[in-house]
Amino acid sequence: MRRIHDLDEAALALGLFAGQKVADAMALVPDLHLADAEPEADDRALAALVDWCVRFSPAVAPAPPDGLFLDISGVDHLWGDEPGLMQDFGHRLKTNGLGVRLAIADTPGAAWALARFGPDEVIASPGEQARALAPLPPESLRLDPADTAQIRRLGIHRLDQIMDLPRAPLTRRFGIGVLTRLDQALGRSREALTYRRPPSPWFARLALAEPVSTLSDLERITTDVTARLCARLETSGQGARRFELTFHRVDGRPESLSLGLAAAARDPVRIARLFHPRLETIDPGFGIEVVTLRGEAVETITGRQIGLEAGRTHAPEDGLVPLLDRLTNRLGPERVWRSTPVDSHVPERSVRPGPVLSRTATRSWDPLQPRPLRLFRSPEPVEGVIALTPDDPPRQFRWRGQVHRVRHAEGPERIGEEWWRGPIETVSVSHVRDYYRLEDEAGARFWIFRAGLYDPAVAARWWMHGLFS
Amino acid sequence: MSGFRDGQMKALRAKISQMESHGRNRAGVMSLGDARLDDCFPGGGLPLGQWHAFTGEGMEAETSACPAAFAALLAAPLTRRGEAVWILRRDDLFAPGLAGLGFPADRLIQVCARDEAEALAVAEDALATVGISAVFIEVDAVDLVAGRRLQLACEARGSTGLVIHRKPWGGASPATGTGSAAASRWRIRPAPSLPPPGEFGLGPPRWQASLDRCRGGRPGTWLFEADHAYSHEAQDGTHPLRLVAPLGAGELVPATPFQRSA
Repeated sequence: MRRIHDLDEAALALGLFAGQKVADAMALVPDLHLADAEPEADDRALAALVDWCVRFSPAVAPAPPDGLFLDISGVDHLWGDEPGLMQDFGHRLKTNGLGVRLAIADTPGAAWALARFGPDEVIASPGEQARALAPLPPESLRLDPADTAQIRRLGIHRLDQIMDLPRAPLTRRFGIGVLTRLDQALGRSREALTYRRPPSPWFARLALAEPVSTLSDLERITTDVTARLCARLETSGQGARRFELTFHRVDGRPESLSLGLAAAARDPVRIARLFHPRLETIDPGFGIEVVTLRGEAVETITGRQIGLEAGRTHAPEDGLVPLLDRLTNRLGPERVWRSTPVDSHVPERSVRPGPVLSRTATRSWDPLQPRPLRLFRSPEPVEGVIALTPDDPPRQFRWRGQVHRVRHAEGPERIGEEWWRGPIETVSVSHVRDYYRLEDEAGARFWIFRAGLYDPAVAARWWMHGLFS
Repeated sequence: MSGFRDGQMKALRAKISQMESHGRNRAGVMSLGDARLDDCFPGGGLPLGQWHAFTGEGMEAETSACPAAFAALLAAPLTRRGEAVWILRRDDLFAPGLAGLGFPADRLIQVCARDEAEALAVAEDALATVGISAVFIEVDAVDLVAGRRLQLACEARGSTGLVIHRKPWGGASPATGTGSAAASRWRIRPAPSLPPPGEFGLGPPRWQASLDRCRGGRPGTWLFEADHAYSHEAQDGTHPLRLVAPLGAGELVPATPFQRSA
């Protein structure tokens, strides 16, 4: 027997309904246009719609067969407010020929109910779920049709009637399902949505017939799974900059290692060799039965042609990139860097550890401003400073227990605070530094500063910030 | 010396150096821009594909600003051939300072090692890599085995190692008296700078550098000046170290200023 799965607005206007027998419908409307239902195609269309909705929120979950959830926490301000977001969303869908009903509520359950049984484009204000849901029918609870029919048979036609019932008898009669759905709709219990994420196609998996646990076996399966993923990367001309190797143990616990590369690569031998020294940290437990490798940050890399005059110039891929990968993975990424200029006159801020491979020679530090070769992370106190007048460079000072007599001096170079960085209340003249370049009688050159402006009432504090060569 | 004898001597020297290198390909030499200096080295310039040691004295043995600056400027022309790697134990090297002296800091990769053994291992790895022309290593001491390993790594690709002996904070003084595989050993002391006539302040940085040991060459002591320090002339192609004057053995920097020879 064929029944109507779904129907359009014109058919609804004629009094037909979903679930009706086709024969009955044909009797009412002889020239009814029929098409076979295709649930798989509906699912695919819903998935495509979910992917499209990522422009509104990063977290979108399908609610089959005909709905979807958008988690709009923290994104509605991009459209001004929630009505603005909803208006834009509905307008775009309707322009594309999709009939939609929208609702915004605190919980997925309440939004589901309001979108289907409430007024269109309704927004339940925060904490007002119970009032918004009260007039809705029991079907809005996402229950089995049998449960809904039972509830209706008891003379319950509105949700507020269920809300008023004592909970224990309700559970005894209908099972825990009704209360769970009600609590989820009212925000009294949590509900997990399965958000759709873009899948990573760069994934290789190796299942083992017998669990392995020795180090040499781990090395071998690492090499095998790397070769498998890299072969796929090579056929499509891609390379990955991050790899995540996961060993799935027999007891279900995963053990992961991740690897970052300076440039995208797909050389299986090199990548496996970067993993090998770190396999010792893996605890195999009772054995490892599955190993997976995921490639992330995948980008196109082109094969390099070996020139006829090979050996004259070396491309970075020959030696530099593998070296940097070895170093960053052995020492940690924060221990290998290239100093990059930053537009700041505060000395400790004028350098930033930059990406180790990309060289940005667009601008550099001003060579006319002498800067020390060694800069101390925290300035060291200088004592016994003798100067002719308060603003004169020191004539003599003591640092690390040694007295230095100054022969030549340069300064002051006044470096103020970057007041725009912090709260304005913390800005103070005591953060101004007056730097002097000093050379003592032996020729050693220092960079010392006096903190704050000169104040006859307060003893000046002097600091050693670096050493010139 | 006649032209013929000159040629003969050159050929013989080349033959001897080839025998000394056991048939390995020598990486050549780099001229330091002054004949008085180049003549001290066997090949007529700073030998490449080997490693050189630099030490400071007194306070500098621990802070090591002058030896680092001298080594950086000595090897600065090498950065035109490839990248430079600087291996630190303590992260206090300030790149703007290096750039101000005329060292191309954008060609520099900095690595902070956790201990001596790791610093030397990273140095070996970097020296044996193509595309890297100079490796600066700040370590306390290099024993004979480590020195030999560094030497082999240098010969692999012809890169040059510059070991800056640096005492750990509060530690003992580096033991440089033992024999080592270094091609040359330098002792660097700061020297009083000479401001340009009629100007106040500090002049370009100066150092008194003693070449204490040089394999196959002659030791000596010189007064150097950073020629392009804190100016825009860093790219003019000349060697950034200018030899101001040779100093006799044990002689201190003279109190009377030397005339600047252009």
